[in-house]
Amino acid sequence: MMRRPRSSTTCSLLAGAVGLLVAMLALSPVAAQSTGEKFARLPIRSDGPKSLDPAKGSTSYDNQVVCQIYETLLQYKYLVRPDSVTSYEDVSEPLLLAEMPKVSDEADGKQVWKFKLRDDVFFHDDACFPGGKGRKLATDDVFYSWKRLADPKYEYENYWLLQDTILGLDEFKEKFATRQPSKSEPNPPPPPPFDYAAPVEGFRKVSDTEFEVILKKSVVRFGWVISMFQTSIVAREAVEKYGDTLGKHPVGTGPFILKNESDWKPGQNMILHRNPNYRTELYPSEATPKEQEQGLLASAGQKLPLLDRIELTFYTPDPVMWQDFQDRKIALVQVPAEYFEKAFVKRTKRLTKEYSDNGIQAEAVPLLDFIFRGFNMEDPILGGYDEKRTKIRQAISLAVDLDEHNDTFYNGINVVYDGPIPPPLDGFPKNGKAPNSFRGPNLRKARELLAEAGYPEGRGLPEIEYYTSKGSNQAEQTQAEIRQLARIGIRLNPKMVDFSELIEAINQKKAQMFGFAWGSDYPDPENNLALFYSRNKAPGANHYNYDRPEFDKLYEQIIVMKPGPERTRIIEQMRDMVIADVPFVGSMARTRFYLAHPFLKNFKPSEDFYNWFKYLDVDASAPR
Amino acid sequence: MWSYVARRLLYSIPVYLGIILIMMGALRLRDPVSAYLGKNATAETALLKKASMGLDRPFLPIGIEDPAEPFGIEPIVEVGRVGFYPPLRTQYVEFLWRILRFDFGTAERPYRSWQFESDNVGAKLADAVWPTLKITIPALVLTATIAILVGLLSAAYRGSVLDKTLMVLVVLGMSISVVVFIVLGQVFGSSWLNGKLGFELFASNGYEPGIQNWVKYCALPVIIGVVVGMGYDARFYRAVMVEETSRDYITTAVAKGAPRHKIIFVHMLKNAMIPVITRIMITIPFLITGSIVMEYQFRIPGMGKLLIDAIVNKDFPIIQTFTAVLAGLFILTNILTDVLYALVDPRVRLA
Amino acid sequence: MIAAFKRLKASRGVGKFCRNRLAVAALGIIVLYALVGGWVALGDLLPGRAGITYAQVEQPVWPTPINGFGIPATNERRVEAARIITREVKRAVNNGEGFTDIRYGLLHILPGTADSDTELDRLSTLIEESEDLYDQLSEFDDLNSPEPPMLDDGAPDPDSIDVPSTIARLEGAVRQMFAPLSGWQSLKQSLLHSLGTDRQGRSNFLRVIFSIKVALQVGIVVAIISVLVGTFLGAAAAYFGGWVDHAVVWLYSTLSSMPELILLAVLVYAFSGSVFDKVSNPWLALVPVYAAMCMEFWIGPCRVIRGETLKLKELEYVQAATAIGFGRFYILLKHVIPNTVHLMFINFSLLFIAAIKFEVVLSFLGLGVKVGPSWGRMIQESTQEVINGIFWQIGAATVFMFVLVLAFNIVSDALQDAFDPKHVG
Repeated sequence: MMRRPRSSTTCSLLAGAVGLLVAMLALSPVAAQSTGEKFARLPIRSDGPKSLDPAKGSTSYDNQVVCQIYETLLQYKYLVRPDSVTSYEDVSEPLLLAEMPKVSDEADGKQVWKFKLRDDVFFHDDACFPGGKGRKLATDDVFYSWKRLADPKYEYENYWLLQDTILGLDEFKEKFATRQPSKSEPNPPPPPPFDYAAPVEGFRKVSDTEFEVILKKSVVRFGWVISMFQTSIVAREAVEKYGDTLGKHPVGTGPFILKNESDWKPGQNMILHRNPNYRTELYPSEATPKEQEQGLLASAGQKLPLLDRIELTFYTPDPVMWQDFQDRKIALVQVPAEYFEKAFVKRTKRLTKEYSDNGIQAEAVPLLDFIFRGFNMEDPILGGYDEKRTKIRQAISLAVDLDEHNDTFYNGINVVYDGPIPPPLDGFPKNGKAPNSFRGPNLRKARELLAEAGYPEGRGLPEIEYYTSKGSNQAEQTQAEIRQLARIGIRLNPKMVDFSELIEAINQKKAQMFGFAWGSDYPDPENNLALFYSRNKAPGANHYNYDRPEFDKLYEQIIVMKPGPERTRIIEQMRDMVIADVPFVGSMARTRFYLAHPFLKNFKPSEDFYNWFKYLDVDASAPR
Repeated sequence: MWSYVARRLLYSIPVYLGIILIMMGALRLRDPVSAYLGKNATAETALLKKASMGLDRPFLPIGIEDPAEPFGIEPIVEVGRVGFYPPLRTQYVEFLWRILRFDFGTAERPYRSWQFESDNVGAKLADAVWPTLKITIPALVLTATIAILVGLLSAAYRGSVLDKTLMVLVVLGMSISVVVFIVLGQVFGSSWLNGKLGFELFASNGYEPGIQNWVKYCALPVIIGVVVGMGYDARFYRAVMVEETSRDYITTAVAKGAPRHKIIFVHMLKNAMIPVITRIMITIPFLITGSIVMEYQFRIPGMGKLLIDAIVNKDFPIIQTFTAVLAGLFILTNILTDVLYALVDPRVRLA
Repeated sequence: MIAAFKRLKASRGVGKFCRNRLAVAALGIIVLYALVGGWVALGDLLPGRAGITYAQVEQPVWPTPINGFGIPATNERRVEAARIITREVKRAVNNGEGFTDIRYGLLHILPGTADSDTELDRLSTLIEESEDLYDQLSEFDDLNSPEPPMLDDGAPDPDSIDVPSTIARLEGAVRQMFAPLSGWQSLKQSLLHSLGTDRQGRSNFLRVIFSIKVALQVGIVVAIISVLVGTFLGAAAAYFGGWVDHAVVWLYSTLSSMPELILLAVLVYAFSGSVFDKVSNPWLALVPVYAAMCMEFWIGPCRVIRGETLKLKELEYVQAATAIGFGRFYILLKHVIPNTVHLMFINFSLLFIAAIKFEVVLSFLGLGVKVGPSWGRMIQESTQEVINGIFWQIGAATVFMFVLVLAFNIVSDALQDAFDPKHVG
């Protein structure tokens, strides 16, 4: 039998390859580490944060990570979830402060906020400090962090939070702002370099732990702003040492730290470790009745954070995230709409037997959403405050069937309501129905209005350019809307573009009609009504370019009015004004459902604030 | 031969410049600034962002300044409305200069990506290459091996049942879209299979560095890549081998009484290696781009995912650098292939 | 050119092709697809009377997703469908609207008679009955595995309703709201339901058939344009030589030095969002996709034809024609290109396949067909269903596409064997 010279080499190569494969197979199911640490793997439903620098943060995904590492003056109370919220005092508690701020109104309209910092807050240990030991937090740090928002280096991304609020801050910002060339000044001189030492009248230091902030007027929003992650306190040494890589190398005061830069693999995951020098912060003992019944006070009094390590995994395609939850690889999950029926009985919105038998926990979190289809009020055909054009918009509003949308795309779990103010804020109409609502579907009335506007059965009305983003089921929703409007003869020309193009089209006022949403930054209706303030026109948040002087006057009133029945009355007035003008078709607020495995404890998610990872705990049955 | 190489290189320069020009021009047809504006943007923020992105400069040294969107740079000379701007202060030339210096961001002189504001473009590309290679190289090796084998066997037993069966299987693999394989692969190859086996053999997504994690994260994409890609190669090799079987030397070998397997595996293979090698060489630059779809669905942080994310998020620095590096690689590899081909086959003359 | 085609038909290649029975069968399948696609396209020209329009495809054929092949839906689904239909009809009755808007495939409520009082009464009675039955069923937490309610002493309640029969009665009440379907119509209705529906209740069958037209559209347009452009440029480059050759070679070297998918993605991005995304003119909507693919695909035929022309240029009859004094363009068009027709055909079929497959990948990534169904979009939309164990959409799209691509592969193989047997690669 003749030997095959080639075959023998092939054989040995093959054998070698098989051997290698077997070796790798044998090595692969090696457990990662069994250090005895308590940890949980949690999902973040995006590619991850873009930057961990609070001054540059903008999305909720940035928020989710930044607030574990950095801290703000106030935080939301974890277990206090009242049915309605009026003032920030209802739900906030001091975090970096020793006590709630004392607010006093001056005779000249200004408002003075007296703050007292805690004495035991230290920054994380980091090489930017001498000896590598974290320094104690002081008043100067608060002023420094807030002044950063006015630094042109960060492109004023978050300056709007403090705009027109603190005495002298706007002037401070202008001093260092680049002046644009204009007719009278074709070559303006460059601005002086930003100087953090320059004084701001409204920042008055009393001592290293006590200070006062003077507001130009009694801006209600300020109480909420000081809990927002963009106003977190950063260390000057860190900013000076790391410059624009601070986004990868955060140095905060919070319960978790990013131990090494390599712990963050962009697009993959991020590992946060417990801050070994965290001061004594205890699990809350205050809870509203429902939360008490759920046994959430079991860990009251324990030192935070309860976990040694949290691993945040970034998921872009949802199916993959869902599968990982099924495989017990992540401890909790936001239920994407497509999988709702796998875990819940759609009719009753309760867990299926299979899931509840396995001890899976479910929580419904109502979001402060305002999902709408907006109109460009400056559009020659559709926009305008005259009868004819308003009637077209009313007809469109009456033809859209939001209930069908809710049923088909959101499993009926959303709240459909009138107006721009979501539940449970002041100004939310009773049962979602406002007295002058134009919510559909009422095709008869829609056809009447359209005929009255001069376009019987839509004849003569050109196609409407309708911009939406390309998201998961947006395409299908758009097609449903096209179908709904075709019933009264209105033709939509859908332009499904990605999010950045959508913003671009809206900002350039090219979009006649657009599908969009607004999530309230804080639970005050003023945030939603700001969307109709004429000063916020494109590229600001007033995407409709709505402009009514009466509305503006009322808006300027409520931003400084103390919450109460008088303010609520004005808010309702503004709401009805907006509903009558129909600058949008709306609205819907999503209810997000969360599932968690039974081994995750103290599970009470919220999307108003994200720094609740420190309260989570796992029991012995958790994967190690 | 060196004159040929020099000529080709010289010839490639306008090609390369053309690629960069077309690519940068196409990107700038749409305005990317809106994508990076936050929630309550002001006109001020938009202008500052534009300046920090380097988009406030003219694209080419010749331009017409739009009063609504001022360049902020003085033209050297103005002829009517057309201005001539200092080349180095334009976006196109500046980028070319960067390519020349091969400087895509260092600690002292950063060149930041727009999505990842703390990272240099060069660093991000370097990080992304290795995961991609971990998939494409094994896929290439496996595909080539199996395809050659299939091609050989099909050609040797041409017309037989074996040939027909193999070709049917191969065409089957080619006729089903890769996306179907990916979707089904994730469901069946991972979740279902793991359930049956009781432990996790293939992960349905994700990536961890290290050779011990290769099977878990990379094996499944490799398998899918092989199934899909093998078809084209197998048919090509089969055709090559078929051509070989009609040659005189094969007839001679048969006449001399050489056993069949020796003819196949020794003679035919050796002589058919030239087109095989050429074909493999052509696919080498593609090793680096990886498969965008595969990396996206499997969440593997390779070059493909980096690129698709950059395109979706309008991250110009990454797209530009990616294309510049890759195009350069393509051109060089093309020249190399031609040279190698000429060296190996004396019948081929370099034109 | 006509003479060239006649010559082609009588040539040996065609004969060899016809003897390959598998190839002829595959060609038959392609013709079948072309007929179906053409019939669908009639929907744009003669809406309502022939073909399928975009609006018809988007219409849900049932309020909830259903399974294909007649497999019954779960109890919960059936009850939900009944609830939605009842709600729709009730709303129409209360608002005094007509019922023309309530359609599920061929099911509709009879117009005209709906205004009469007797008809309204009949519907109101049915609505009441349906709501009543629904309330009875709401006792149960999970109708898919209903647990019979217990009495206090632990024994099952004998008065409790029987779930399957109640659901059947509920469905009966709802079905009576609609006008009865004739035999032929109910056949069509079950055809619409045959491959199941997607999440919105749209018929997979309709969508997958409509996608045939989209695929053929993309394939034909891209392949024809690419082949024509590539042939002309390639032949011209080889024949005229000189700067024409340099220019063409520079062009295709430039374009082929960019990875394909990147070029496609950048081009689709650059073209998108503008005039082209119009639903009302579906032919225009795909222009970005066409442009992007053509810019990449013309290179293949160009290279091949250029190589072939270089060989043809040296042949005697071409030299003879030149000697006689025919103009160069004339020779190019009348003598050179017609002899490359067989290569044009082969490239056409190869590019056709490539175009279809590329469209699938582009649509899957969200860059391709944006409005209306296509196989790529169906697969993309089905990714979440698949994890829930629902394979109707992805199955339908894959099978239909697979058959077409397979047929084309067989045909192009046979063409190559017949016309270019020495062809390698």
